[in-house]
Amino acid sequence: MLTRPRDSFIALDVTFAGRGWVIKQDMSDDAADVQRVLAGDVEAYAALVDRYYDRCARFAIRMLGNRDDAEDALQATFLRAYRALNRYQERDRFSAWLYRILVNQCRSVAARRAHRERVFVREEALLLNAPDRSPVWTGEDEEFVQRVLNELDPLLREAFLLKHIEEMSYEEMSALTGVGVSALKMRVKRACDRLRERWERIQHD
Amino acid sequence: MTDSDQHPYVEWIASEARRPVLMDPGARDRIMAAVRAEPVPTPVPAWRRLLQPRVFHMSPAGSALLAAGLVGIGVLTGVATSNRGGRAAEHPRDVAVLPSQPPVSSPDTMYKFVIVAPQAGKVSLVGDFNDWDVAKTPMTRAGQSGLWTVAVPLSAGRHLYAFVVDGTTWVQDPSAPIAPDDGFGHANSVKLVVGGSSL
Repeated sequence: MLTRPRDSFIALDVTFAGRGWVIKQDMSDDAADVQRVLAGDVEAYAALVDRYYDRCARFAIRMLGNRDDAEDALQATFLRAYRALNRYQERDRFSAWLYRILVNQCRSVAARRAHRERVFVREEALLLNAPDRSPVWTGEDEEFVQRVLNELDPLLREAFLLKHIEEMSYEEMSALTGVGVSALKMRVKRACDRLRERWERIQHD
Repeated sequence: MTDSDQHPYVEWIASEARRPVLMDPGARDRIMAAVRAEPVPTPVPAWRRLLQPRVFHMSPAGSALLAAGLVGIGVLTGVATSNRGGRAAEHPRDVAVLPSQPPVSSPDTMYKFVIVAPQAGKVSLVGDFNDWDVAKTPMTRAGQSGLWTVAVPLSAGRHLYAFVVDGTTWVQDPSAPIAPDDGFGHANSVKLVVGGSSL
């Protein structure tokens, strides 16, 4: 029995951007924006920045604890991602690729800050006159929560934020950090244990 | 979810931390201003994409089989190294105590990093010069000797670096000065480059 073959075609959405034609072929918004940038349309990058800035900002602030360092990490993240855009491969999710850069930038900023703070400790006069860091939030609860997060070891904080604030799977976290799933599970558990212990101390005091 | 995850205090901290943050409204504009000052990245030709490093995802069973294979290769290499005697024979299984050669300076400011890790399946160089990205600077095994090398261009200044063995184990360079803990549980090695020469 003869049957009509199923229609098989690829819908092409062709647009002109900057240097040349861009063929959109069933691609995500992210991949399409990347294609437009690579074709010379620099302003298409603003769409990627807008799409991911808030989420990245939240992670950077929770991780680094203050707005100035978070802005440094965000600026470096989006700039480095732009420079490396031609190495982004569409089989990877853009968000995961960007987050990998962000996590590394937060680590670099934290390492630089640790060095800077060690220098400051030696300069007591400077330390005495140093202005307070601006608070991250204005509400008391928010300041308190940031202070609690800052008390966690950075590795535990990073794992806790990726799991419970960014709500990633352990496999996604592993791809971002290069750390094994079982080690990440242990870090998240330890972070939660530290928070629970803190609560119990408060109850006893 | 574990009992600790479900603790009301932990849930409250997490829910507060999930709230959106307020940033300087001009921050995005500053990012785009910096982006516009950069050259437009050009697409990588298809043939070069094939040569780019890839991340392969494996099932736990596949990983176990691969790990078993690598251990077998590592043991054989270790035995071969031990039979030749020398320093490697003293610590055939421990990469951390085998000193690497100090980076070698050359006129074009390329610096060669070397580490002996006969048991390793892969080794990467990470540092502030490559954003501590384990995927960016893989080292190449030199024959069967267990020697891993890579050359990177370094600008003048103080550089922190470390070796990452098998993607997870951070190893300091035993032949270099050590910087204090970076706050993430790693102590890193220090490389000073002054005017194109290595210190």
